[in-house]
Amino acid sequence: MPERGALTLIFVAALVATVPLFAGDFWVSLTIKILVLGLLALSVDLLLGHAGLLSLCHAAFFAMSAYTVAILQVRYGVPMLIAVPAGLAMGTLLALVFGVSVRTRGVYFILVTIALGFIVWGVTYRWASFTGGDNGITNVPYPAIGDFQITSMTAYFYVVLLVVLGCVLAYRTLVRSPFGLVLRGLKSSESRMRSLGYSPLRHLYVAFVLSGFMASLAGVLYIYFNRFVNPATAHFHISVEAVLMAILGGTGTILGPFLGSVVIMVLRNWVSGFFPYYMTLMGLVFIVTVLFAPNGIIGLVNSWRARRARRAKTTDAVGTEPEAQPRPQP
Amino acid sequence: MRAGTANSAALELTGVTKRFGGLVAVDDVSLTVRPGERHILIGPNGAGKTTLFNCITGTFWPSSGQIRFFDVDVSRLAERDRARLGIGRTFQISNVLVELTVSENLILAVLGRDRRKWMMHKPFADLGAVADSVGTALATVRLDHRLNDPVASLSYGERKQLDLALALAMEPRALFLDEPCAGLAPSERQRVSQIIGELPDDITVVMIEHDMDIALRLAERVTVLHQGQVIFEGSPDEVETDTQVREVYFGSG
Repeated sequence: MPERGALTLIFVAALVATVPLFAGDFWVSLTIKILVLGLLALSVDLLLGHAGLLSLCHAAFFAMSAYTVAILQVRYGVPMLIAVPAGLAMGTLLALVFGVSVRTRGVYFILVTIALGFIVWGVTYRWASFTGGDNGITNVPYPAIGDFQITSMTAYFYVVLLVVLGCVLAYRTLVRSPFGLVLRGLKSSESRMRSLGYSPLRHLYVAFVLSGFMASLAGVLYIYFNRFVNPATAHFHISVEAVLMAILGGTGTILGPFLGSVVIMVLRNWVSGFFPYYMTLMGLVFIVTVLFAPNGIIGLVNSWRARRARRAKTTDAVGTEPEAQPRPQP
Repeated sequence: MRAGTANSAALELTGVTKRFGGLVAVDDVSLTVRPGERHILIGPNGAGKTTLFNCITGTFWPSSGQIRFFDVDVSRLAERDRARLGIGRTFQISNVLVELTVSENLILAVLGRDRRKWMMHKPFADLGAVADSVGTALATVRLDHRLNDPVASLSYGERKQLDLALALAMEPRALFLDEPCAGLAPSERQRVSQIIGELPDDITVVMIEHDMDIALRLAERVTVLHQGQVIFEGSPDEVETDTQVREVYFGSG
C-alpha cells in the first residue's frame, strides 16, 4: 500500500487533472508545459538536491530525445512506438558520455556541463542539413499507436499527467532507497564516504545517467506537445531555467521543482502578456528567493509549519490529555 | 581476499615514505602491529602521524614502501577497497555526514561494505538487519538516545563519538583513530577514552593521541614519530624514560 507521501502526490495529480474541466486551452497548454519542464527540473534536482552537483547541461538530453523523435518521425516516417524508445535511448546515451563530468567538482563541474551543453546546442544550430538549423524540424505528427491518434490537447494533457505521475512515484522510490541515501551522504562528505567503502565516482555516474534519462523522457513528452523543435530547446537558457525552478521550489524535494515550474512558467507565459518587464520580475523573484527563502517555497512552508508547531507545543504544555482507554472488545 | 592466519601481523609497514614535492612527510617508516594490539602513535606537531594514517587508510598512496594488512598488500589499493578489507578510521576533525540524521549516518556506514548500497527499489528504512548493527554501534559509543536526531544538532563531542560509531558500524578488523579526544572537554575526554578502552579485543586499534594520560593508559605499544621518522618503539613504561623522546618533547635542557 502506498503511504502518506505517495498519496499526497496522487492527490495533487488528481487536483491537476481537474484543470481541463474549468479552464480553457491556454491554461491546459500552460499546465502541460509546467509539468514537462517541472519533470526536467526534477531530473536536474536528483543531482542538485541529492548528490550536490549543479548541472547546466540538461537541456542537451531534453533536446537530444526531442530531436531524435522529430527526425525519425518526420524524415524517416518511423512510427511512434519505435521513435520514442529511440529518443530515450539517444538521450540516455548522451548522458552516458557526458557522465564523465562527475570526475570534476564544484565550479569545474558547472563549467564542464555548460561546455557540454553548448556542444549539443552548436550541433543543432550549425548542422543544418540534418537538424534543420535555425528552423528546426516542423510538422511532427500527433502521437499515434497504429490507427489510434491523440489529436486533442486535453487528451494529451492526461497522457503527460500520467507519465509525469508515474515518473514522480518512481523518483520518490529512488530517493528513499539506499542508493538515494548514498547520494546525500556523498553530498555531505565524500572523504567520509570513501573511508566507509564507497566509490563516489560510480554512484555519481549512475545518478547522472538516471537524471539524463529523466530529462530525455521530458524531451519526448515535449516534442509531442510542441510538435516542432528548434535549437532554442537545446539552449543554455533552458538548462538554467530548470535549475532555477528547482531552487525556487525547493531542492531535495519532489513537489519543489514543479512549484518552481509553476512560478516561472506563469511569469513567462501569462504575466508577459500584459507586463513587458516580466524578465526583470523573474530576476527579482529569484533574488528574493535566494535572500529570504534559500530552501525555496517548500522550505519556507516547512519552516513556517515548524514554527507554528513549536508555538502550539509551548501553549499546550500545561494540560496534556490522559491517554484514551482501549475500548473493550464486544 | 581475506587471507591471513592467526599469527600474522595485523599491520606491517616496510619502508613507507611519503613525499610532497621536496617535503618528506613520512620517512622510511617500518612498523608491525599484532592483531588485537592497542598501539599508540605519538609525536610533536608535523611529525607525520596523520600523513602516515592517510597512507595506511588509502587517502593517498605512499611514495614508496609497502603496507600489508593481514597479509594482503594494500599499498596500491583504493581507499574503498581498503575499507572493504576491514580498515576503519576516524578523523582528527570530526568527519560525519552533517546534513543527515544519526541513524542515516550509521545506515550508510553499515552499507559501505554491502552490495545493497546499490538498491534502488526499496526504502533504506526497511532494511531490517541493518538496524541491529546500527543499534550496536550506537550503544558502544553511548549515543543511543540520539538515534533519530539530525547530526547538525549534535555537540562537537557527540560528533566525535558518532565518527567512532561510523568506523565501528562497518565492522572493521582494525581501527585507526586520529586524535579521538582532540578538542573535547575533560568530561568528554573521559567518556571517549573509556569507550575506546571497552572496544572488543579482537579489533586492532591504532591511535594517534596527544593526551599522554589517555595515550599511555590505553597503549600496549607506543611508537614515537619525529620529523617523519620512527625514533622510538616500545612499551608505555619505556617511553617515559627514553632520553631521545624526552628531548623531542621537552627539549634538551
